[in-house]
Amino acid sequence: MWRLVQTSAMLASLLLITYGVLRTDDRADPRWLLLLAFVAVLWSVALWPRAPLARTARPVVHVGLALTVGFGLVAIQIVRAQLLDRERILARASDPTSGVVDVRRYLGQRDAVRGRILMRDGTIVAQDVVGPDGQRRRVYERASAAYLAGYYSPGLFGATGIEAAYDDVLSGQAVSNWRTWLDGILHRNRRGNDVVLTIDPELQELGQTELADRTGAIVVLDADSGAVLALVTSPGYDPNRLSVPLGATREDIERARAYLRSLEEDGRGPLLLRPVQGLYVPGSTFKTITAAAAFEFGIAQPDTVYRDDGALAIDSRVIIEQNRPDPSRVSFTVREAYGYSLNVVFAQIGLQLGSQRLEAMARAVGFGEAIPFDLPIAPSQIAGTPEFLTSRVGIAETAFGQGQLLVTPLQMALVTAAVVRDGTVPEPFLVQEVRRPDGSLVESRKPTTWRRAFGQGTAAQVRDLMIWSVEHGYARNARIEGAVVGGKTGTAEVGSGAPHAWFVGFGERDGKRVVVAVVVEHGGSGGQVALPIARALLEAALAPR
Amino acid sequence: MTREARLRWLELQLLVVPAATSLVGLLTIYLARRGETRWSWSDLTVSLVFIVAVLLTNLWLTVLRVRADQLLLPIVVMLSCLGLLLSQRLGPTISETGVWASLSQRQLAYLLVAFVALWITVALVRRFDVLRRLRYTWAVAALGLTVFTMLFGTDLGSGARLWIDLGPITLQPGELVKVLLVLFLAGYLDDHRELIASSYQVGPFRLPPLPYLVPLVAMWGISILAVVLQNDLGNALLLFGIFLVMLYVVSGRPLYVAGGLLAFAAAVAVALRLFPRVDQRVQIWLDPWAKPSGIGMQPVQADLAFAHGHILGAGLGFGYPQAIPVVATDYAFAALAEELGSLGSVAIVGLYVALVMRGLFIAVRIRHSYVRLLSIGLVSVLGLQALIILAGNVRLLPLTGITLPFISAGGSSLITNFIIVGLLLRASEAARG
Repeated sequence: MWRLVQTSAMLASLLLITYGVLRTDDRADPRWLLLLAFVAVLWSVALWPRAPLARTARPVVHVGLALTVGFGLVAIQIVRAQLLDRERILARASDPTSGVVDVRRYLGQRDAVRGRILMRDGTIVAQDVVGPDGQRRRVYERASAAYLAGYYSPGLFGATGIEAAYDDVLSGQAVSNWRTWLDGILHRNRRGNDVVLTIDPELQELGQTELADRTGAIVVLDADSGAVLALVTSPGYDPNRLSVPLGATREDIERARAYLRSLEEDGRGPLLLRPVQGLYVPGSTFKTITAAAAFEFGIAQPDTVYRDDGALAIDSRVIIEQNRPDPSRVSFTVREAYGYSLNVVFAQIGLQLGSQRLEAMARAVGFGEAIPFDLPIAPSQIAGTPEFLTSRVGIAETAFGQGQLLVTPLQMALVTAAVVRDGTVPEPFLVQEVRRPDGSLVESRKPTTWRRAFGQGTAAQVRDLMIWSVEHGYARNARIEGAVVGGKTGTAEVGSGAPHAWFVGFGERDGKRVVVAVVVEHGGSGGQVALPIARALLEAALAPR
Repeated sequence: MTREARLRWLELQLLVVPAATSLVGLLTIYLARRGETRWSWSDLTVSLVFIVAVLLTNLWLTVLRVRADQLLLPIVVMLSCLGLLLSQRLGPTISETGVWASLSQRQLAYLLVAFVALWITVALVRRFDVLRRLRYTWAVAALGLTVFTMLFGTDLGSGARLWIDLGPITLQPGELVKVLLVLFLAGYLDDHRELIASSYQVGPFRLPPLPYLVPLVAMWGISILAVVLQNDLGNALLLFGIFLVMLYVVSGRPLYVAGGLLAFAAAVAVALRLFPRVDQRVQIWLDPWAKPSGIGMQPVQADLAFAHGHILGAGLGFGYPQAIPVVATDYAFAALAEELGSLGSVAIVGLYVALVMRGLFIAVRIRHSYVRLLSIGLVSVLGLQALIILAGNVRLLPLTGITLPFISAGGSSLITNFIIVGLLLRASEAARG
């Protein structure tokens, strides 16, 4: 009988522990501590001496029992901390917002050579270099792409970009087979694997030169695979000045910290990776999405005619048309309205669509979602507040790209990619391969489709619009000899200062399809400022090699 | 009474394990620090000194013809071997000012002094009657030391005067007071054994007798004062815990113990409400992640140390325990857990359980009631102290500033604990069979 009670008490305690571990996140969660109190009682029952004891021995045995149960609870806490909660604790510490400094993550730098970061042709972006003082530090070679690598700075206890996202691979911590596992156990010197980016150094360099000291962002994608060919941000920063090895002198660390502080306080935000994290008003480039919605939901065809007599009154607001090529013309097809970027026509289309269908299309191309990518990205938003799209003015403004829209250049590039890919959005990627130090392949990225944005028919119709815009509309200067080019300019009004200049487009030649998105902050007219940059990049990307 | 000297074979054989551990561990630490695989005999000096001290202890016990238990010493030596390794490992990573030697050198010196203290204790204490007769002397000494420290002591950053500054070295008399208290209580409680076990009726209630009640209330008051005045929850818990254990062993009445515990818990609960400093300790216990770079830094970094340890640990010398503030005293266990992994850390807990169990096993078989009570008291000093600080390290309880016996850095606690071991060794002679 007693034996049965003791066995079941032990089993019950195990069940309680399992339940507690599954339900609580932290070892000092009051619920878990309460549970441990129950476990202590159960264990006392389970371990209670069965044999009759001498009167003098009984209290001593009880003392021993109490201490044993206590040490048992300590053992449970140890197992939680070191095995069961391990991933949770480490994940919590690696969250940059937690404010935790996890030095041990950077210890790898001490005994392992970190893998290199390369571009698609083998150009080195980042590698470990042993200085004359014998100290190994991280050196970033190409200024135009260095910020993609991010920085790796054990001295500052920080890492960003690819250095942070692929830390396991670069540091050699990732266990890919039993050999690397054994090396880890034996503390053999390991060398991390190399990470190969999809970046084309020439395009990247060209993008950087084109933007020069203007603030802005460029994305160039291979439309077929989703590979990022160029990802330019301006202004950037020099990761070399931030990379401080462990054991650096106090001076070095202070200098790096001062530089980091100056970057953080710089109003232009050089630490922001604008193509994927910068949020901009899209301006007229958003008309691509409105047009896609109109075709997809059967509201209009490219040839449907709308009236535009220079102004449109919606409730109390009057939208003035500034873009008509000929002030005497009052009727335009959707194709022409897109090519001439007529706000009044798109306001009407938007009102016909209504907020639900407009929003549905924006969501279909990826708005409001974290685009799967190798680096942290900012999701694009269709409206800041849900109420905004309940007003007719809000819908109209959103339809031609103003309102409360905020998009990343990457998002606009993906929309364009969907247009040339018969309606599917590719999953963009920046890392194409991981290679061992000897050059052999560990893994390579297989291009995948992220989602379907719209039907094949819609894609063909929007593609037609974008080509017309370049052939006959305001994007005429984007034409490239021997290639099919489509695109849309955008001049996004912002609260203060000159408007943001936008261009999104694609180019096709010899089966190669490339999309580009360019934004220049407060650059002025999209056609005059962003378009030439985009054209240069398209031309370079399509050039036969 | 003459006895022939007999070689303590079992002890000697068991001591091979800590000796080997100290050699391998020390070499690992040095090689890991230098990042190479070449070594010389001079790297092993510390370990060899340690091994010689251990062997001399074994020899000394043989020469004195001590028929003491042969398992106690190997367990203790294993634990202090880990402590020594930890100090050698942490020493070069911690920068200190105003101390007479580095942590590594200090800990080795303290350990040698502690061994000498053990030898002296074993040599001096032949008859426990003398200790018993001096029971009130111990009480006065304990009281005197405590008052002296409160008046003339210095504060080394814990917010309480717990240390006596002697220039290059500082003493922590609180450590010795624990032993003195046990010596006094064992005599006092054994004197009043019969009375304590009885009870008398007041109206409908059965009350414990006065010789029981008076010291109970007094101890409760002193412990609570320690919590309030010195912000020293750990020591209060420890003192009160030792007292309750000894009372229970004498009286055999669990209800009184439960009552004492409840009164203690109630008083602590009140202290939490009244004193923000005590409350803060509880807050960083429950949620250190709220302020990971401020007061929560210690527990958060300890959590990370545990997590990085995983199953096999980083390996001695390969972790980064110095990321935990005040690691050598407060978080010695977390540092070992990081480098030895969960296998190692659970094994250390197992060593403490073995120590406590062996101690109690010896105590149960002692016929002499005073010696039995004394050894139970001494074992519970070690056991409770280890339990409280381990529980603090793994966030089972709020962290307290008491030391991990034999492992934490610090001379006072090391020497005191070795004196306890000496007393236990002598007491074990009185055990039957």
